[in-house]
Amino acid sequence: MTVKYESQKIAQNFFTFAVLLFLVQVAVGIIAALQFIWPDFFILNFNIIRSLHINALVVWLLVGLMGATYYVVPEESETELWSIPLARFQFWATVVTVTLVVLGYIWMGINPQANSTSLFGTGILNEGREYIEAPRWADILIALSVIIFLINNFMTVMKTKKWTGIQGTLLAGLTFLALMYIPGMFYTKSMVKDQFWWWWVVHLWVEGAWEVIAGALLAFMLMKTLNAQRHVVERWMYVEVALVLFTGILGTGHHYYWIGTPPYWLWIGGIFSSLEPIPLLVMVWDAFRTTREYRTVTNKVGLFYAVAHAIFNFVGAGLWGVIHTLPQVNKWTHGTQITTAHGHLAFYGAYVLLVLSMIYVTLPVIRGVREFSGSRAYQAFWWMTISMIFIVLTITGAGMVQTYMERLMGLDYVAVKTNYNLWFWIFRAIFGVGFLIGVAIFVIDYFRLGKEPLKIGTPEAVKITG
Amino acid sequence: MSNKALRNLFAFGSLGFFVIFVILTIDTMGKLDKRAPEITEEVNLGKKVWHKYDCIGCHTILGNGSYFAPDMTKISEKKPKEYLKQFLMDPKSVNPKASMPKFGITSQEADHLIAFLEWISKVDTNGWPPKPLLAQAVAVTGAELSPGQRLYQQLNCSACHMLNGIGGTTGPDLTHVGSRRDRTWILGHFKDPKAYVPNSAMPSYGHLSEKELNELTDFMISLK
Ligand code: HEC
Ligand code: HEC
Ligand code: HEM
Ligand code: HEM
Ligand SMILES: [Fe+2]
Repeated sequence: MTVKYESQKIAQNFFTFAVLLFLVQVAVGIIAALQFIWPDFFILNFNIIRSLHINALVVWLLVGLMGATYYVVPEESETELWSIPLARFQFWATVVTVTLVVLGYIWMGINPQANSTSLFGTGILNEGREYIEAPRWADILIALSVIIFLINNFMTVMKTKKWTGIQGTLLAGLTFLALMYIPGMFYTKSMVKDQFWWWWVVHLWVEGAWEVIAGALLAFMLMKTLNAQRHVVERWMYVEVALVLFTGILGTGHHYYWIGTPPYWLWIGGIFSSLEPIPLLVMVWDAFRTTREYRTVTNKVGLFYAVAHAIFNFVGAGLWGVIHTLPQVNKWTHGTQITTAHGHLAFYGAYVLLVLSMIYVTLPVIRGVREFSGSRAYQAFWWMTISMIFIVLTITGAGMVQTYMERLMGLDYVAVKTNYNLWFWIFRAIFGVGFLIGVAIFVIDYFRLGKEPLKIGTPEAVKITG
Repeated sequence: MSNKALRNLFAFGSLGFFVIFVILTIDTMGKLDKRAPEITEEVNLGKKVWHKYDCIGCHTILGNGSYFAPDMTKISEKKPKEYLKQFLMDPKSVNPKASMPKFGITSQEADHLIAFLEWISKVDTNGWPPKPLLAQAVAVTGAELSPGQRLYQQLNCSACHMLNGIGGTTGPDLTHVGSRRDRTWILGHFKDPKAYVPNSAMPSYGHLSEKELNELTDFMISLK
C-alpha cells in the first residue's frame, strides 16, 4: 500500500524532525533529573536545561501534529496538498526558528546577562515564562509558520470542498490552538494577570485545543487501522470533543484558585475540571468498542499505539489530574511534585503516544511498505511505558512526602528536597535511563522501518492491508 | 441524534462555553486590581528582572513554575530585606552550600526584585499557601519553654536555622552550636554579626535588651 496523494509524503519531514527532538528532550530530561541530586552537574543551570526539556517537548509534539495533519487533510479532502513548496518552506522556517531559539537559551545559560530587554519589553533570548520561554521575535516567526500551515491546509480542503467530520474537527482544533497562542504574546505589569493569561495558553492548549485534535486523530486512526465506518467513529468523536470543551474551557478555573483571582473560581474550576476525565473515558471506551467490533486489523502496531494512547490519556490526564483538582486538595498539593507526576503521565499518554501512533499508522503507507517487523515498536513501547509508570510513581511518592512534610508539617522546602526526597530523585534518574533506551529503540525503528528485508515467518510481522 | 446535529452541538455549545468564559474573564479583570497593592514602577521593573533571569525556571511563584527551588510568593514575609539582597546578589556568600547560581544581579536589580517580591506577598491569594496544620498543633502544646526558647520562636530564627531537624537551611544548623561557640562569641555575634563573620547575612539583634540577649545566648549554649 502506498499514499493516495504524493504530497502526503511531506509528513515524513516533520516526523523526522519531531523524532530527533524527542531524543534531545529526553536526554536533557535526564540531565535535569541529575541536577536534583547534584545541582552543579552540568555547564548549563537547571532552569536552562528545564526550558530545553519542556520546549523541545512542546515543539516536537506540535511538529508531529503538523506532519500528521499534512497526511490527513489531503487524504480526507481527496486531493493533493494545495502547495508543496509552501509546506517545505514552512518546515524549514520552523527548523531554523527552533534552532535559533535553542542557541539563544544556551547562550543565556553561559552568560545570563545576555538576556537583555528587547524592543518588545521582554527578554531578547528568553521571555522568562514557563513553556513560552521563546522570545517575542520567535513567537512571531512561529505564529507566521503556523498561519502558513493553516492556510495551506484550508486551501487544500477548498480545492474539493469535501469537508469531513474528521478533517473539519482537526482543523478547528488547530485553529483554536493557533488563536490560543495570542494571549501569551503581550506583556502585563501584574504578575497575577500574567499568570491568568498564561493559563489561557497552557490550559486551553492541553485540555482544550490539543484534546480536540486528539479526538479527531483517534477517529482517523480507528477508521484506518480497523476499516471502521466513518459515520460511527465521527459520531463518537463529536461526543468526545464536545465534552472536552464543555468541561475543559471552564475547567481552566482549576488554575485560578490561588493566584490572586476572585473566589468564585474555586467553584467553577472545581466543578468543571472534575468532569474533564469523562470525555477521556469515552475515548477509551470508543477505542475498545471499535476494536472489538471490527476484527480485521490493517495495521496492528498502529492500532496498538492508538489504543495505548487512549488509555494513558485517561490515566495521566484524567486520573492523575482529577486527584489534585479539587480546591480542598489542591490547596495542599499546588506547586508540588504531585504536579510534576501528573504533567509527565498526561503529556506522555495524551500527546507523546498520540504522535507516535500517528507515525506508526501513516509511516508504513508513506514508505510504501507491505509488511514490517513490529518487534522494535513493541519493545520501544514497553521500555518507555514501564519506565514512565515508574517515574510517575516515584515522583508521586516524592510529591506525597513533600505535601506532608512541607505543607502539613511546616518543614523547610530545601530540607525536604535534599534529605527526605533524595532517594526519589535517584530512582527517577534511573528510570529515566530506561525511558531513554525506549526512545532510542523507537528512533532506530523510525529510521529503519520498511528499509530492511523481513525474515520469513517473523512472528511480529505487521501486514499493511486495506 | 444525527452526526450533523452532534456537530452543531459541538460547535455552538463550545462557543457558548467560551463566551461564558470570556465574560468571567472580564469580570475577573475588573476585580484583580482591588485584590493586590498598586503596581509601582519599581515593582514593574522588578518583574522584568524576574523574567530576565528566568527565576521561574527553578522557582514557583503563586505556586506556578518549576519545582526545583522554594516558592517565592511569601518570601519577603519570611526573610529580611538585607538578607534577601545579599542572597540575590551572591547566594554562596550567605550560605556556602547554596545551589542557586550567582547571575551577576546588580544592587539596583536586587532592589527592584525585592519590591516585586514584596508586592506579590500582599496579593490576596484566597489563603494560599495554607499555614501548616501540624506545626500549629505543636505550637499550641509547647507550653514548657525556657525564655530563650520562647524568644527563638518569637523572633522566627527557624526561618534561617535548623534545630533538631526543623527550620530553614540557609543559615548554619544550630543543633550543636553550643559546642562550637562560646558565650562571648554568641553574645557579641547577636549584637553585630559582621564584626565576627565578615559578610554575614544574619540580621543584627542589637535592638534587643541585654536580658533578652542573655536568655537567647543561654539557650544557644545549652545546645551541645
Ligand atoms: C538554577 C536554579 C535557580 C534559579 C534560576 C534561581 N534560583 Fe533562587 N534558589 C534556587 C535554589 C536551589 C534555592 C534554595 C537555596 C539554595 O540551595 O541555594 C534558591 C533560593 C532562593 C532564595 C532564598 C530563599 C530563602 O529562603 O533563603 C531567593 C530569595 C531566591 N532564590 C530568589 C531567586 C530569584 C529572584 C531568582 C531570579 C533572579 C532566582 N532565585 C533564580 C535556585 C534558583
Ligand atoms: C535571615 C536569616 C537569619 C535569621 C532570621 C537568623 N539568622 Fe542566625 N545566621 C544566619 C546566617 C546566614 C549565619 C551565618 C553567618 C554568621 O555566622 O554570621 C547565621 C549564624 C548564626 C549563628 C552562628 C552559628 C555558627 O555556628 O557560627 C548563631 C548562633 C545564630 N545565627 C543564631 C541565630 C538566632 C538565635 C536567631 C534568631 C534570633 C538567628 N540566628 C536568626 C542567618 C540568620
Ligand atoms: C492531556 C491533558 C493534560 C495535560 C497534558 C496536562 C498537563 C499538565 C501540566 C504540565 C501541568 C503543570 C503545569 C505547570 O507547569 O505549572 C498541569 C497542571 C494541572 N493539571 Fe493537568 N494536564 C492535562 C489534563 C488535566 C486534567 C483532565 C485535569 C483534571 C481533571 C488536570 C488537572 C491539573 C491541575 C489541577 C493542575 C495544577 C496543579 C497545581 O496546582 O500545581 N489536568 N497539567
Ligand atoms: C516523554 C516523556 C516526558 C515528558 C512528556 C515530559 C514532560 C515534562 C513536563 C511537561 C515538564 C514540566 C512540567 C512539570 O514539571 O510538571 C517536565 C519537567 C521535568 N522533567 Fe520531563 N518529561 C518526559 C521525560 C522525562 C524524563 C525521562 C526525565 C528524566 C528522568 C524527565 C525529567 C524531568 C525533570 C527533572 C523535570 C523538572 C521537574 C521539576 O521542575 O520539578 N522528564 N517534563
Ligand atoms: Fe489545567
